[in-house]
Amino acid sequence: MSAQGKTVRGALSLLLLGPFLMAVFVPFLWMVLGIFKTNAEFFQPLTSAFFPAHYEWQNVVELLEGKWVPFWDVFGNSLAVSLGQAFGAVTLSAMAGYAFARFTFSGKRLLFVLAVALILVPRQLFAVPLFSWVNELGLSDSLLGVMLPGVVTGLGVIYFTQVFRQVPEEYLQAARVCGAAELRVFLTLLPLVWPALLSYGMIHFILAWHEHLIPMLVLTSETKQTLPLALAKLYDVSQRTPQGVQMAASTFAVIPTAVLFAVCHRKFKSSLSDMLVH
Amino acid sequence: MPAADQRTPGARWTPFLFLLPFLFFLLLFWVIPLVGGIKMSLQANGLGQAEYVGFAHYKALASDGRYVTALRNSFTYTLASIVVIVPLALWLAHLLRATFRRLRPVMTFALLLPALTPPSVLAVLFLMVFHGKNGLLNQLFVMPLGLEPVSWLKDPDFILSGLVLQAVWRWTGFMTFFILAGMEGIPRVYYEAARLATGSRWQHFWHVTLPQLRPVLLFVAVYLVVDGFSLFSGAFVLLGGSGGTADAGLLTVTYVFQKTRFFEYGTASAISVSLLPLLTLALWVALFLRRRTA
Repeated sequence: MSAQGKTVRGALSLLLLGPFLMAVFVPFLWMVLGIFKTNAEFFQPLTSAFFPAHYEWQNVVELLEGKWVPFWDVFGNSLAVSLGQAFGAVTLSAMAGYAFARFTFSGKRLLFVLAVALILVPRQLFAVPLFSWVNELGLSDSLLGVMLPGVVTGLGVIYFTQVFRQVPEEYLQAARVCGAAELRVFLTLLPLVWPALLSYGMIHFILAWHEHLIPMLVLTSETKQTLPLALAKLYDVSQRTPQGVQMAASTFAVIPTAVLFAVCHRKFKSSLSDMLVH
Repeated sequence: MPAADQRTPGARWTPFLFLLPFLFFLLLFWVIPLVGGIKMSLQANGLGQAEYVGFAHYKALASDGRYVTALRNSFTYTLASIVVIVPLALWLAHLLRATFRRLRPVMTFALLLPALTPPSVLAVLFLMVFHGKNGLLNQLFVMPLGLEPVSWLKDPDFILSGLVLQAVWRWTGFMTFFILAGMEGIPRVYYEAARLATGSRWQHFWHVTLPQLRPVLLFVAVYLVVDGFSLFSGAFVLLGGSGGTADAGLLTVTYVFQKTRFFEYGTASAISVSLLPLLTLALWVALFLRRRTA
């Protein structure tokens, strides 16, 4: 295609993409601008008061000082739970995926089907028995009680099975000839597949960051709450939290996952491209 | 499959060594709660009740109008999300590929933002789009056409469409990203071979791109089925755990939540368990399609 034709095509696609980008972006812009609005401004029709009259940081300060919720505790809890869960899920799934991809053993097919079935049985459906079981384990109102149930993931196992299948056999042979134990072989492979580890870690971090139901059941004390729970509290009408504070908290809730994705985006996409086709 | 296990003695249990941590947590946090759920579904309702009632809850469900409504709504919701999201995401991915290379990452990121956002925040943003007369949808689209503003989350005729729109808004960018990644993984050779044989862009799409994207599209569909039937967040945050006016937005997961809230654990578990065959069927169809077309 000629260079000119390419430019025309590019511009045309941009024009068609425009409305979709707007539909996604405008609500987020509104959220960030909302931080600076008074309640009166906030509830005016969007088309007449989209931008705030003054830009003041009062709402952000109130939120960070913990006037409405113990913000830093909550933020730290969310970070700890999500990071821990992502790390655990990557470790367990990578090991299991390695076993499925590189060994033949009896019961393999059955176990694999079980892993696939996991995807289809969302934890939310069995939240109540899970909750009472977590209590019996003595993990009620502890962050571990939220973190540990989330480390098992069917998606992760399938993903890493695929990843390890694609590692060229020569690498393994080389490692084995050197007489390395199987665990050593696995560990030497890890640097080779780090984009995959990072990608899955990111996905799982995002899922854990959004988790609402399990923390709601397990965590009871105020300083142990995670971000989605604190947000629900801020949004609750009876709390009379200023809208600006709510928008500030919402913005802070989006930042970690957005930054993480922006940083990992390229690696994630190329690792997916390698895997999805074939 | 390499047969590594014949080489060293004692290697027969090596794979299980790798599987052990996974299986341990699987047993602890999946199998036990699942069995607990099935057991709960055979017991009387109420806290601390352990009286065995057999299949009474299941029998009651069969004649429960709200259960049927919830199933029907979930089914419509899921199907509608797939039907709207998959073609839209395919089209957006195509547009992203056609547009200026430099802008592509920024635009993909922007489209993906809703998927990165916690559901509760999403609900607030989404309410702004829908909320009553002042929402953007009414202000920009409905009222300029001279129509009455629609009360999207109260009018039973529109609630389900509202939920579907929510799913579309939330997931389309995410799915676009996966499809884009899939498209970029298709070897150029395939297109070159096709170019020699036939001409039009549409034919390339139909005969090369689409078949190559099958695994991605299957993933997308399965994800949306699971989201539609069992993820808590979407419907919950918009309707606050109610089914909306006249139960028009009652989904299976909302119904489970309602039963749980009133400590009807037996019934709640029975609803959950009753969905398992359905979800398994969905997976089976997906795998079957994959095998048949492969």
